[in-house]
Amino acid sequence: MADKNTKKKREKSTVGKAAQRMVFGGALTEEQEEILTPIQMVFRSFVQDKVAMTGVICFLFIFMCCVVLPFFLPIDMYYQDVTQANVGPGFGMLDVPSGLQKKARQVSLGSTFSVGIDEKGNVYEWGRFPTNKLKKLPADMGSLVQVSAGLDHVVALNDAGEVVTWGNDRMGLASIPLELRMGETVKEVYAGYQISLALTESGRLYNWGNDFLIDIKIPKEVQGNIQKFVANTDIVMALTKDGEVAALTTKTNAYTAIPEQIQGRVVDLALTDESVAAVTEDGQVHVWGNNVKGSRNIKEEVQGHVTAIEGGRFHYVVQLDDGTVQAWGDDTFGQTKVPDIKGKVKDITAGYYGSYIIDESGTVTGWGLKGYLMGTDDFGRDIFRRLLKGGRMTMTVGAIAVIISTIIGVIIGGISGYKGGKIDNILMRLTEIVSSLPFLPFAIILSAIIGNNISETQRIIMIMVILGLLSWPGIARLVRGSVLAEREQEFVTAAKALGIREWGIIFRHILPNIITVIIVNATLDFATCMLTESSLSFIGFGVSEPNATWGNMLNGARSATVIENFWWRWVYPALVLAICTISINCIGDGLRDAIDPKSKER
Amino acid sequence: MRKGRYLLKRFVYIIFVFFIISILMFTIYKSLPGDPVRMMMGDNVKPEVYQQQYDTIRAQLGLDEPLPVQYVKWITNMLTGDFGYSTEYRKPVKNVVGVPMRNTVMLNIFSMLLVFVISIPLGITQAVKKNSVFDKAVQVVTIVGYSVPSFVIALLAIYAFAIKIPLFPISGAKTAGFNGTGMAAALDVAKHMALPVLVMSVSGIGSITRYVRASMIDALRMDYIKTARSKGLKEKVVIYIHAFRNALIPIVTVTTWWLIGLFGGSIVIETIFLWDGLGKMMITGLNQRDFAVVLAMQMFYVILSLVGNVIMDIAYTLVDPRVRLEN
Repeated sequence: MADKNTKKKREKSTVGKAAQRMVFGGALTEEQEEILTPIQMVFRSFVQDKVAMTGVICFLFIFMCCVVLPFFLPIDMYYQDVTQANVGPGFGMLDVPSGLQKKARQVSLGSTFSVGIDEKGNVYEWGRFPTNKLKKLPADMGSLVQVSAGLDHVVALNDAGEVVTWGNDRMGLASIPLELRMGETVKEVYAGYQISLALTESGRLYNWGNDFLIDIKIPKEVQGNIQKFVANTDIVMALTKDGEVAALTTKTNAYTAIPEQIQGRVVDLALTDESVAAVTEDGQVHVWGNNVKGSRNIKEEVQGHVTAIEGGRFHYVVQLDDGTVQAWGDDTFGQTKVPDIKGKVKDITAGYYGSYIIDESGTVTGWGLKGYLMGTDDFGRDIFRRLLKGGRMTMTVGAIAVIISTIIGVIIGGISGYKGGKIDNILMRLTEIVSSLPFLPFAIILSAIIGNNISETQRIIMIMVILGLLSWPGIARLVRGSVLAEREQEFVTAAKALGIREWGIIFRHILPNIITVIIVNATLDFATCMLTESSLSFIGFGVSEPNATWGNMLNGARSATVIENFWWRWVYPALVLAICTISINCIGDGLRDAIDPKSKER
Repeated sequence: MRKGRYLLKRFVYIIFVFFIISILMFTIYKSLPGDPVRMMMGDNVKPEVYQQQYDTIRAQLGLDEPLPVQYVKWITNMLTGDFGYSTEYRKPVKNVVGVPMRNTVMLNIFSMLLVFVISIPLGITQAVKKNSVFDKAVQVVTIVGYSVPSFVIALLAIYAFAIKIPLFPISGAKTAGFNGTGMAAALDVAKHMALPVLVMSVSGIGSITRYVRASMIDALRMDYIKTARSKGLKEKVVIYIHAFRNALIPIVTVTTWWLIGLFGGSIVIETIFLWDGLGKMMITGLNQRDFAVVLAMQMFYVILSLVGNVIMDIAYTLVDPRVRLEN
């Protein structure tokens, strides 16, 4: 035995040495004859196993990512945004083309793409295009003076006062109202969520496209007197030439609670998804509406200095009288982290989750949502963040299920093996009954029955318990077999002679001797439980939405369209799940080889 | 004689287990939420006759009797092949399960065959060429094969062989509106079955190959192999007759477990490929609260698993004469 150990030691890899130093300290020298406990032997031989160590490293990496990263990349599980649906992976959303730099006149931010025009009126598009129609620019647009990007279409205005539009042409987005084509000179255009708006020099507002989503009712006294307008998916607000704010709707809601004291003094207006902000002559910002994601938490230092305001989905950007720019509100994608601009700020734009600054030299700087590392799913949720949360969930479910099954298995196997006789017989029959339950069908049915009227948390606990309750027979048999072998050993007889209670003998004397076997089995069971949980969630009987697990993230990827067109929605979860289970199986195999030297010779 | 008595004992025991499980299942199903009577009646019943009709259907389905009576009735029906009345298909379950059962069995048998045809020769070759590059390479492949969940492999297979290279249809058990007979029909089914069978076999190939390899290595180390070789027997004879027969015992155990799991696991595959089998039927039944169907499916899986256990016992006695059956 000792001879074998010294021989082994010389062959030790550098990894093994490093790990040995880490664990046992640097005191051991080559010449010394060492005495190793079985656990140390196992550990050494495990550390030398390259495949198993690779597995450990891979698994620990994924595990640490899932544990640590969600703190830095938080995600609201209930959050959904259709405007961000099925965006491919990548970070190019705010990469302004070099052709536009130094000569930008105006830019506009759409859902996942942006458009801009230069001094000569040429148009540039960048980002991720929700539809390929966006790339087909209409011929003879003339020299453009203003552009606006919406969900999936663009509206632009040329120097002849004509409106042009491209991109999505459904919902009547292509049919520009007759009045705009006949004589009326357009001052400003806007592309929104399946809707387009245009304001004429005479202060009249026109809209076309899908007007079912927004209720637009322009009061008579406002029509023809509009100075500026802003819109989101719920409402259109207008700023009249007399500096008054008007909500262009007949309904009463959070937006219509316009503070009386600002009427007549408003110079600029902006809208986010839940609130309205108005800038008065004295540079004060007034925000009303719902305070979602901190959009009403105005920075105190900007009050009194604001000259212009712009709003995105949940953030506001303001230009101050000293030429600087400030932002507040939602910061999930860094929307409020305004970059330092060298030159003087000429113009600011905000939209959706990003913002742009154009400085005097015509250079465009963008910040906010640059893209998604792994794209988004059909509800516009960031796949990478869900993957992290899902990993945590999958691993937690797997781990707790394994703990439950190991505890049951050890207790039943231990008692059965030690007691023998009738008790053994009954317990083993019970084991046999449970193991002859067809696993997956039974798990599905239990989940369908119990999981009907319970909360999501209860559902997760239920899945853990079901998996634990159905998967203990394997470990029970193993423990029983090992206990049977151990109980004939002298130390058990000695313990008995000392008058130690049976319970103590089983769990304090025998159990430590078979703990390695249990650990190996638990490791392999962990992989199996993760797989089963994923399978259950995949067919819709496991952890349910909006909670993420790797299995239910793949649930949405079952149709051929998704598999073909939105590959990122299934490739990433599948890849991570596969790497994880392969790693755990490698670890389990490595442990088994380390414990049982005979199996290593295979 | 001993064997016969042993098998009889096992058989009696299996029946006992079956009844315990069936009681368990019956209890579970009775606690199911949702009302099958209301499901069956639909929404087009006039309010004035509602209660009367409700009671009639309830009595018709035998739902007004006490639970033990219902259980006895139900189990008698089950044993006589009457699986109850499907509220979803509005037909006796017996008449509905034929085609799905055939499809599922077909799917499983083919993937079983594929697994054996590939994994046994592969495992043996690996054991013979132990520690060669081939062995190592196959070991990596098999560990990947049995680790990766089947639905992931299914998605990959659909992407590769149904979308990128459209060799096979994406889903279904046969082409819609296809009326051919004979060879044409068989070919059509084969085409639809190719992907599910392939996907189902991957994890089986992975794990069975590993077991075959391990037990073959153990067997090849034995002294009788040395004797056989020193007798001058051909290497093929040594490997396939002397070693493999002895390696079979652990393989039989694993294979039976895997087989039972295979049928259960085909639920996932059937849902992905919309294969008209028992698994898909069970999921639909659960979603529609069609308990009779779910119950019958579940019974099928339970019986399959118990039969699997019996087969394992018989197989043991066949491959290993040393197995002491009394124990």
